[in-house]
Amino acid sequence: MKTKIIIYIIFLFFTLYNYSFSYDLKLENKINKNLRCLICQGQSIYDSQSDFAESMKLVVKKKIESGMSEEEIYSFFKIQYGEWILYDPQFNTKNFALWLLPILVFLVGGIIILKKFGVSKKRL
Amino acid sequence: MIFNYLGNFALLFCLIISLVIFITSIKSLNNKNFFLKKSLNELLFLKFFFAILSFSSLIILFIISEFSNETVLNNSHISKPLFYKISGTWGNHEGSLLLWLLVLTFFTFFYFLNSKNRPTDERLLTIMFQEVIILGFLFFLLKASNPFNIIYPVPKEGLGLNPILQDPLLAIHPPVLYLGYVTTSIVFSSSLAGLIKGNINNLWAKDIKKWVFISWTFLTLGILLGSIWAYYELGWGGFWFWDPVENISLMPWLSLTALVHCVLALEKRSILHSWTVILSIITFTLGICGTFLVRSGILNSVHTFANDPERGLYILFFLFFLIFLSVFIYFIFEDKFKLNNKNLNVFTKESSIILNNWFVMYFLSVILIGTIYPIFLEVLSNEKISVGPPFFNKLIIPFLIPFLIFMSIGPNLKWIKNNHFTKKLKLILIFILSIILSALVSKFFGNATLNITILLAASFYLFFITIKDLIKKGFKNYSQTISHFGFSLLVLSILLNSIFSNEVTSNMRVGDEIKFYDKIIKLQKLENTTEANFLKLIAYFKIEEKNKTELVLEPEIRIYDKPVTITSEAAIKTDILKDRFLVINLVKENEYLNVRYQEKPFMLWIWISAIIISLGGIINIFKKNE
Repeated sequence: MKTKIIIYIIFLFFTLYNYSFSYDLKLENKINKNLRCLICQGQSIYDSQSDFAESMKLVVKKKIESGMSEEEIYSFFKIQYGEWILYDPQFNTKNFALWLLPILVFLVGGIIILKKFGVSKKRL
Repeated sequence: MIFNYLGNFALLFCLIISLVIFITSIKSLNNKNFFLKKSLNELLFLKFFFAILSFSSLIILFIISEFSNETVLNNSHISKPLFYKISGTWGNHEGSLLLWLLVLTFFTFFYFLNSKNRPTDERLLTIMFQEVIILGFLFFLLKASNPFNIIYPVPKEGLGLNPILQDPLLAIHPPVLYLGYVTTSIVFSSSLAGLIKGNINNLWAKDIKKWVFISWTFLTLGILLGSIWAYYELGWGGFWFWDPVENISLMPWLSLTALVHCVLALEKRSILHSWTVILSIITFTLGICGTFLVRSGILNSVHTFANDPERGLYILFFLFFLIFLSVFIYFIFEDKFKLNNKNLNVFTKESSIILNNWFVMYFLSVILIGTIYPIFLEVLSNEKISVGPPFFNKLIIPFLIPFLIFMSIGPNLKWIKNNHFTKKLKLILIFILSIILSALVSKFFGNATLNITILLAASFYLFFITIKDLIKKGFKNYSQTISHFGFSLLVLSILLNSIFSNEVTSNMRVGDEIKFYDKIIKLQKLENTTEANFLKLIAYFKIEEKNKTELVLEPEIRIYDKPVTITSEAAIKTDILKDRFLVINLVKENEYLNVRYQEKPFMLWIWISAIIISLGGIINIFKKNE
């Protein structure tokens, strides 16, 4: 019973996962949080108070007002400053290992546990 | 001047004594008669004493502003307040390493005094491994980062301490964190010693458990302090940036969290012998690895005030030496494990501990890969990418949900036996209640997404279950329940905080007003004052709320002279329910101020819940072994 509920929830969660991630914050803040302040040390322009960050925030605001989508704004900044400026690394040929390695660790961990302890089939 | 030599020679004496202890412990291993317990005791104390002597010399050099000392010159100046002169001792690379050494010698001595119930061989081996670590640090200190380098001619004034480090919290944050890191070295050495002697069993687990909990508690508190500091000093209201240096402090904490659980399984059920040893090794090397990544300047982070490539090379060498040594020992003595592969039943405490370790190691790997992947990518393909909060959120949140649910159920299970849920109904009722509650919260009060809502439900579940356990069990397993309760409160506070936070940003002159929901924020006046080592610009804001008392907030901008730095001091009004956070910033023309006002609910509870988590650890340290 319990485990079934858990399975359903996990399933539900994964299917709606990517879909749901797109509208949580005010768009402007969300974009600001995803852009690195290039003259600061490890802060997003949202968290920074430098002149650079302030002017970047204005640019983001104007771009939103001019009707650009989130993705378009990101690619605009990416062309200008390189991928370094995006805090959310894209899933591409360079970065696929970044995204998949942790999942791989998780799967391998699960296999090791199952092999080591020969857990009975009743689990999940 | 004399203290320069005193400190330096004290370090040299430390080195000599350390070598003597190293040789003594090896000789005693081969020849039991050689073992003179008392003399080793005295030697360890003597080494500790010289470390104190060296460290106090450095403190005195800082207090009297002796600029013939290079470290003092680079990190202090005359007009700095006394408190920060003292805390500046460990606010820099050399001093912090010396502090590390001091703590290390202290705990080595302390371990030897408190391990009398362990076999002599194992104690000697532990001391031997400790000496290897201490020698590594001593060589590093003396060769590459000597705190007592002398400069001639003596400069008149020092270069000053980075102003963002001039903060009372930052004075205690590093020592607390170091206490945590250094105690992991004891766990490391003891597990290697136990491995060689074939002593890794439930009795060993019972004795090492205290050290694991001491270390875990200090690390928890250390990370908390750093986070509070970042909240009011660094950012515009953020408290965790997924910054590389923060990640690095979190990694040993995570593997320690796994170790805390797995050492219990080893103690109660004699399982996971080899895994416990591997975790001990991982924890300690992650600590050293962190030191390497921070000190080498490879990482791009808010903490880059402390780095030097050459030093990084030494630590890297030391790190590889330790990893090689421990892997070598592991594979040579692996067959000494008295393994008994037991088939586990599903609904038992031990299987939920294994689940815990599985998930925690996954979280650890997310953070590890997210932190070092950009470094490798840059070296290999010369392309720079950033890995920030969105990456960690995406990979951690979905796994946090089942983790929280297992965390609620696990402690309610028994060792060994399958126990069918006798209180099945209650658990399910609480579960449904949590889902409804979180749905209500996100529907009517915030704009939370689905994943956040589910995470909220899972943390409500843990919250209610732990409260139920606390009430029902009385005081049986309270340290565990309290920590779990604290964790649920932490996740809840962070989630509610992110859902309900509101803010307004604007440029303002004196006399300007802005509206924020039903409030009016007014900039009343500006005031300049001169402090000992900085100029201060205070802005007086009045926040008027309908039918309520007015609130005055006084954020500051500080302009430090040595080195010239401008910092913003946020004005924070903390309440039980929410923080009001106001920070100002100079705009280039100086006529306007850039103002950001935020209302952040449950901030206080984030700190409180972290304290509750570590409280569980503290209770466990002082709990008598049954």
